Amino acid sequence: MKKFSRRQFLGMTTKAGAATMFAGIFAPSASSMLGLGGVAEAATKKIKPFNFAVLTDAHLYDIADHKFDHILEKAVADVNSIKPRPDFVLYAGDLGQSGKKAELVKGKKILDKLKMPYKIIPGEHDYYLDMGKAWRKLFGDEHWSFNHNGVHFIGMNSILVPDFWTLKKLTPKERMHMMEELECHNCGAWGVGEKQLNWLARDVKRVSPDTPVVIMTHSPLWDYYPRWNFQTYDAPEIREILRKFDKVISIHGHVHQVVYNEINNMRSCGLLSTSWPWPYPPVELEYPHIKQRRADPGDFEDGLGGHDITVNADFDAIVHWREFSDLLPDNIKKGLKV
Amino acid sequence: MKKVRKISFTTAASVIVVSGALIVAGMAQAKPPRSETQIAQERAALMTAVAKGDDLWHSAKLGNNGLACANCHPDGSASNVHTWPKFQTNLGKVGTLREMINWCIAVPMQGRILEYDSEEMIAMEAYATYTHRGVAIAPAKDEQHGAVPVKSGPGYPRH
Repeated sequence: MKKFSRRQFLGMTTKAGAATMFAGIFAPSASSMLGLGGVAEAATKKIKPFNFAVLTDAHLYDIADHKFDHILEKAVADVNSIKPRPDFVLYAGDLGQSGKKAELVKGKKILDKLKMPYKIIPGEHDYYLDMGKAWRKLFGDEHWSFNHNGVHFIGMNSILVPDFWTLKKLTPKERMHMMEELECHNCGAWGVGEKQLNWLARDVKRVSPDTPVVIMTHSPLWDYYPRWNFQTYDAPEIREILRKFDKVISIHGHVHQVVYNEINNMRSCGLLSTSWPWPYPPVELEYPHIKQRRADPGDFEDGLGGHDITVNADFDAIVHWREFSDLLPDNIKKGLKV
Repeated sequence: MKKVRKISFTTAASVIVVSGALIVAGMAQAKPPRSETQIAQERAALMTAVAKGDDLWHSAKLGNNGLACANCHPDGSASNVHTWPKFQTNLGKVGTLREMINWCIAVPMQGRILEYDSEEMIAMEAYATYTHRGVAIAPAKDEQHGAVPVKSGPGYPRH
């Protein structure tokens, strides 16, 4: 049973603490490299240091023995090998490519090989064939939150668009096919929608402002390149709801690349896929030194990988992009402090 | 095609005068003078090729594993059309954009390659190149290049 209820999750929070704290976060090399706080500080704070892993964007096809199957399997094995073992894994959407149940079932089968529990949100590729029906049946709610070791985690479905198919009398397959294109020019901008915004406002109402927050969405919570939906149209509202917190870490899939941005109290990190790396869009980056080098199209694992995120007692999180190849610049090879 | 050929029989003097005027106007043509209509028709022919290339670029039918060119090259980006010909490691030689398109079809997409001078290949080249209009030619520049920024729509006049 890899999926877990909120209660199960809360139940497992205590076991991770001590072991993670000394073995991982305060390893001499990492702390001197990245200027982490010491053990003394940790004792005074309410966060119990831990680490968690993130995978995303497998884009599995309903084709047997597809190369993307093997890459996701490799990423799962890689996460299982991380020491100290991540407390849990987050999956940021696009497990499938064309929204087919067979793709999602195949993906779940592979993700179930993770040795730790995981939580998942949908991407557009999982969704627009049956409007998320198969996905929900396999994975449950499209948005959720839980607390772990003093950190509040939120997952939301950010790929909702206004109905563009009914008037055009599109079949579900045609709708899905259009959404499959990154540049779809008739599909509209993605967002979480009013219902989820209301849910989010309610969810964080009783969470105190000094609680660290990690929010995961499929698309970035900032205007990176709207043309490719490297955006979420109601991200300003999300950021406003989360503005009361001292620090919010936003992690997102969809971009298939290392990218970073800061807006007010939110630090956003783009994640590596396990399918293909996307080129950087034609825009100036605020943090141009936080990006990967171009991939070799002849190496099908280039620019792909998973992530290990360590959280210390001061909520200094270190994002480790675990690239299968060697495309990270030196400044983020050992992780990025966010 | 017939209409274009007809134009070439115009007198030499008018060719020079008109071509000069066209160059000044920033729209030099190979065989002037041509009417606005003819220019529009030729332009439309190019855009038809671009649109066909766009469709092929986004089609999984060129490959055998579900992938389309656009999986990795949205809006034609990172095809780096302005850098060819160049030595490409995967080709193992100095090659052209068309050879690279075929390499991508054959290797990452596991499909059947196109004839180099086929309508399909020319359309693909037209699309990739059109998405990089205005980008300076830079042979062998070792840098991934985005396509021309697109705010909305297909990024070119399409009907």
